[in-house]
Amino acid sequence: MKTCRARAAGLCAPLPRSLGPAAPRPAAAARTRSRRLSLTARRRGAVPVRAPGGRGGAAVAMAARPELGRLAQEAAALAGAVRGALGPRGGRALLVRPGGEALLTRDGRRLLEALSLEPPTARMMAACACSHRAATGDGAKTFVVLLAGVLGGLREAGGGGLRRALRAFEARVLERAVARGLRRHLRALGGRQPEWGALEALLEAYLGGRLGPGERRPLARLCSEYCRRCAPAAGPRPQVLRLLGRRFAELHAAVAGLPVASSRILPGLVLRRDFAAYCPAGGELRAVLVTEALRPTLSAPGTEFVVDSEGQYQASLCWITQRTEALMKRLQRNSVKLLLSSVKQEEVVIHYAKLYGVSVVECLSLEEVALICEITGVSPYMPFSDNTDGEITETAVATFCQPLLLGSKRCVHIGFTSVCAFQPHCLILCGPVEGVNEQHAAALQGAFTMLQQLFKTVDRREEHQGEGESQTEALDVCSWHSSAIQKQLVTEGISCNSNQVSERQLKAHRDETETQIVNPGLQGSEYPACVQTDLQIPSNLILHIKEFDVASEGDGSSRNVQKQHAKCEHTSNMHEDHRSDSPVVGQKNCSMAVSATHNVNAVTVCERLGVGKDLEKTSCNIVPSKHEKSCVSITQNYSDALIEAGSVLPVGGYFEILLHYYIQYYAQQVEQSEVAVISNVVADALLSIPKSLYNTTEQNSFTKFYLKAIHSLRKNQPLPVNEKGLELVYCKYQLVISVLHCVTELLSIDLIIGIKRPLQKNEDYDSEDDF
Amino acid sequence: MSRLEAKKPLLFISEPLNKDTVSQSLSLLTGILKSCYGPAGRLKQLHNGVGGYVCTTSQSSAILSRLSVSHRVLSVLMASVQNHISRFSDCGLFTAILCCSLIENFKSLNVAPCTVIKISKHLLSLCMDYLKSEACGCRIWVDFSSVETLLCLVRSILTSKPACMLNKTEVDHLSTLILKAFLFTVPCHVESNAVLGKCVIVPVKGRRVVDSVVLPGLLIETPEIQLAKPPTVKRTCSNMIRIALFCVSMSGDGFNPEEGTITVHHGISIETLELNQLLNVGKQLVNDEVGLVVCQKVIHPSLKQYLKENRVIAVDRAGLSLMEPLSQMTGSKPIASVHLLSPSCYGSLKDVRIESFASKHFVHLIPNDTVVCSLILCNRNETAWDELKRTCETAEHVLQLTIKEPLALLGGGCTETHLASYIRHKSCSLSTSTFRDLDCSRTQYQLVADGFCRSLESVACSLNHDEGEILTDMVYGHCWFVPSGFPSVSNWSDLVSKCGCGINGNTENLNWRLLQGQFDSPAIQGCPRELSVKVVDFLTLDCFAAKCSGLQVALETANLILDLSYVIEDQN
Repeated sequence: MKTCRARAAGLCAPLPRSLGPAAPRPAAAARTRSRRLSLTARRRGAVPVRAPGGRGGAAVAMAARPELGRLAQEAAALAGAVRGALGPRGGRALLVRPGGEALLTRDGRRLLEALSLEPPTARMMAACACSHRAATGDGAKTFVVLLAGVLGGLREAGGGGLRRALRAFEARVLERAVARGLRRHLRALGGRQPEWGALEALLEAYLGGRLGPGERRPLARLCSEYCRRCAPAAGPRPQVLRLLGRRFAELHAAVAGLPVASSRILPGLVLRRDFAAYCPAGGELRAVLVTEALRPTLSAPGTEFVVDSEGQYQASLCWITQRTEALMKRLQRNSVKLLLSSVKQEEVVIHYAKLYGVSVVECLSLEEVALICEITGVSPYMPFSDNTDGEITETAVATFCQPLLLGSKRCVHIGFTSVCAFQPHCLILCGPVEGVNEQHAAALQGAFTMLQQLFKTVDRREEHQGEGESQTEALDVCSWHSSAIQKQLVTEGISCNSNQVSERQLKAHRDETETQIVNPGLQGSEYPACVQTDLQIPSNLILHIKEFDVASEGDGSSRNVQKQHAKCEHTSNMHEDHRSDSPVVGQKNCSMAVSATHNVNAVTVCERLGVGKDLEKTSCNIVPSKHEKSCVSITQNYSDALIEAGSVLPVGGYFEILLHYYIQYYAQQVEQSEVAVISNVVADALLSIPKSLYNTTEQNSFTKFYLKAIHSLRKNQPLPVNEKGLELVYCKYQLVISVLHCVTELLSIDLIIGIKRPLQKNEDYDSEDDF
Repeated sequence: MSRLEAKKPLLFISEPLNKDTVSQSLSLLTGILKSCYGPAGRLKQLHNGVGGYVCTTSQSSAILSRLSVSHRVLSVLMASVQNHISRFSDCGLFTAILCCSLIENFKSLNVAPCTVIKISKHLLSLCMDYLKSEACGCRIWVDFSSVETLLCLVRSILTSKPACMLNKTEVDHLSTLILKAFLFTVPCHVESNAVLGKCVIVPVKGRRVVDSVVLPGLLIETPEIQLAKPPTVKRTCSNMIRIALFCVSMSGDGFNPEEGTITVHHGISIETLELNQLLNVGKQLVNDEVGLVVCQKVIHPSLKQYLKENRVIAVDRAGLSLMEPLSQMTGSKPIASVHLLSPSCYGSLKDVRIESFASKHFVHLIPNDTVVCSLILCNRNETAWDELKRTCETAEHVLQLTIKEPLALLGGGCTETHLASYIRHKSCSLSTSTFRDLDCSRTQYQLVADGFCRSLESVACSLNHDEGEILTDMVYGHCWFVPSGFPSVSNWSDLVSKCGCGINGNTENLNWRLLQGQFDSPAIQGCPRELSVKVVDFLTLDCFAAKCSGLQVALETANLILDLSYVIEDQN
């Protein structure tokens, strides 16, 4: 172990040299500051570029041509930095922020952010890794390791000329390897409604890459128990998981100073503040939600209250008090026992609340109010808008409401009765220090994102039979702009994480950068400017998903084109869109039972196929014929999917080994030498992941694992598996695709141009809500 | 143009634990903490170098909050122990010392951190299962029907804080007082969810410790009340004293800050209005036969005078901290408006007296149901008083924890050595499937278990600050201290009289061995025997909940630190 740690340290060493902020940057920055309009060549191979009349004569300051060697070196350094935290045997990092606060983490995204990278291309790699992580909840570290592997392989194989072959590789080798090879080994978690037991295996494997060795099992157990209690129906539902992921900040509470084993699940919600007034009440009680101050004021902002006699003033004050009292009486009459307020209430309100037996909780955050509204289906009560005698309709029902001591802090514990599928439960996370609790909370939130991928499928985009070849080429052109168009990367000085820049900003950028482009002849009419922000849109699949609402129109149309092509072969193609995770319950319910049986059948068919070594026929061609009579349309749905929803593999490098094997297998059938080269590069790069995983152990070395696996693959035996954990193939496949897209993007960059206008940094990558 | 600042490079430290600076700081910290531990612990004087307040202490809560550490890794340790202290008040030094020695012991093993963590987690679960099982030989049930065990518990806490400077009589006196104060806070009539009352500590510095006293009810300091003329308090027909509790200011400045403007015509005085309103309130209070008015904030002198003339005692500036116990004790609801008084807000008291301690005068409110009491705590000087106050709070907290879980652990190092011998015995008899589950070999397991046991034993050893030897017996696994000045090879039974916790006497041959020296193969060690329950008067006991949690937190923190593979520090 000492040696492997030392190796990890060695790999970390190149970081300060090539990535650290102590790069030649300061000198260059100083130069540009003094000579604002001059053009400075920064690196070897840089070309001076003059912009054709930017705004106010502002010119492009620096430009450099990225080289494959340089890219590979940067990626390798990044991989070195995260490799120490990769996999179940990885260690934790202690991040100390400029303010001094410490953060414990193994999260790849946090690590990459903390490195505060300087080179623009490295920042772009980190941004791609982070956006992949945001979309699937997993895999930032693996992304970087794989990227380093691919870039390193490409450099050795002879450079960026292979860029065009990447697309062909994906279509002709990768998809085929998955469809005909990998699919046979997948296990299905019961289609649309996975079991709870499998959930724990998934969670434990996921948390293995995120938490310390002693914490993952208890936390996985806790988390799966939590999911089970929150969604007591037959299995985890996407909408519940989405709610958990989105509202986890309000659904958990942390206590520092207690052992992790004290973590527990409580029914109901915990609001992390004390009662302003507490009146014990047994049994079911009604609660109202208010968002305004309940004590009327003498004068509101902008108005004036004129005191013209003593009696009037006295009477006004009395009126205010009486009004407050009347309101509380009314609440009592409506048997409301709990008042939840998003604002702080006056002492008088609290006083009367106590008198009339109404408990009060103040200062709820907007998120908490939203969560309560979502669970109970009520909207905030407007005390002064309606008639004061009628019944209060907007009341939520709670089964209990009591104080709760968390650590030394008094909290409010309310058992709301839910009106949706989600049964509210609160997770109490305990750990010796705050940092541990934060780490656990972040890991669990990521886990909920990962679990949402359970319900996603990967579509088969085209059939690559002989006659389909030309169509594929045509499709390449329309959906793969980045490979056809030479691009320029405009570095914005501060950040490359601009994929979430607002529309307006983006447009402004386009307008400005358009004028700065040197060789406009290369641009297609659709993409007038290739700012960095634009760069990521057309090619990166993950970003496609992320910016779904924005780009849905264009995306949809291009898909329609694909569908039309596909229809040439599949005339009975009814299915529209697998990937969009729209909660159409009816469709799901009817397909559930059938899908389960279908899955079983599909697996057996595939196995039989495997025995017969008839690898040339895809299973999807056979399955429909078997089910033709019973459920044509639904099996058609599944036959279209490259990877079905809920497909899993044992954790620990099995996916990579399998893909490695099948890529090599199918690469032999490809005539183009460039594609074959790419195939070898990717296949070898895939092995870098199990290498990183296994080389840190004493007993199971990588070589042993590799030879065993390949041996049994050759003999068509089942893989020797001694891991209980599972991982989602959807996430893994997306990772490979994202890495390939990132490589293509990196290789498509022609120039790196430094500009001087500051760009707002948008730190939040987690926008998983919007798809 | 934006200002350009020189950006400092990122500090990237891989394998932080292997750095010399960390090891040095760690061993320094361990040294400081170990020297403070136990009744014979050495005192530390904390000062900031520019004069002023000096703190003499040996308590972890005082030391850790003021110590600054140079390395980030150690601040994780400090934060963890401080969090533990804020939860349990007790066993802070135990947690800190155990954590430090676990890190040092595990680091010196040539086993991968990941494996160490897995094994140590398993060891911890063995320990916790044992401590929670009926067969556990190092814990005793706390019998709430007699005060003996509770007194032992409190006494152990008081004696373990040498900076309080207490002699034996003072310890006895104070432990009785603390226990009495705690028993006051236990409600007499228990419903489904009972809430403990509160003990308020009233500081009196410059008096002897034996002058300390516990009184039921609350004391509110009132400098203006004359002792010479104790007022007679108005009582209601049922011989009770009615009390009104105000949480708003009664000084007549009661303007609520409003966002709009209020225009007052000439000739109208809002202040007079307010005062009239206050006097009206006063009238109503007198009419309602209220005998005592307590205000959290200030009462207007005119109102005070009016109330005094009508034989109503008015106490103001009570402060926010007293409001809750006052309300709890009297059953009154704090009144938040001087405009409408509701009779249902009033509470009742059994008696009100005027008391004086040292040079301070107090109004003493005596309730019917004593869930609130006051501990008048005296000590000779400021520093010693502060230490004593912390100790009393710890003792009260420990008693509260004990009532939840009526168990106590044997103190004086016996729990540590007993657990260590249990683990040594247990780790020899594990099945191979355990090792397969943990993905480790038997040797690795033995190594880690040995490190774990040595860490536990080193905590017991830290109790001894003299030259003397420390022994453990092979029968019960308890800890024995040999007075200094005897050669190490002698007949141990002549030298020891009682084990650390005081439960075992030197009656039978218990087969002692040196705790720290080389010993024979641990395989020969049998399972430590459980003691027959015998009540001994002067037992040293520790809080069960605090020590169990401390053990877990120490191990988890040590694992956390061992698991760190890099530190990334942004120095800007």
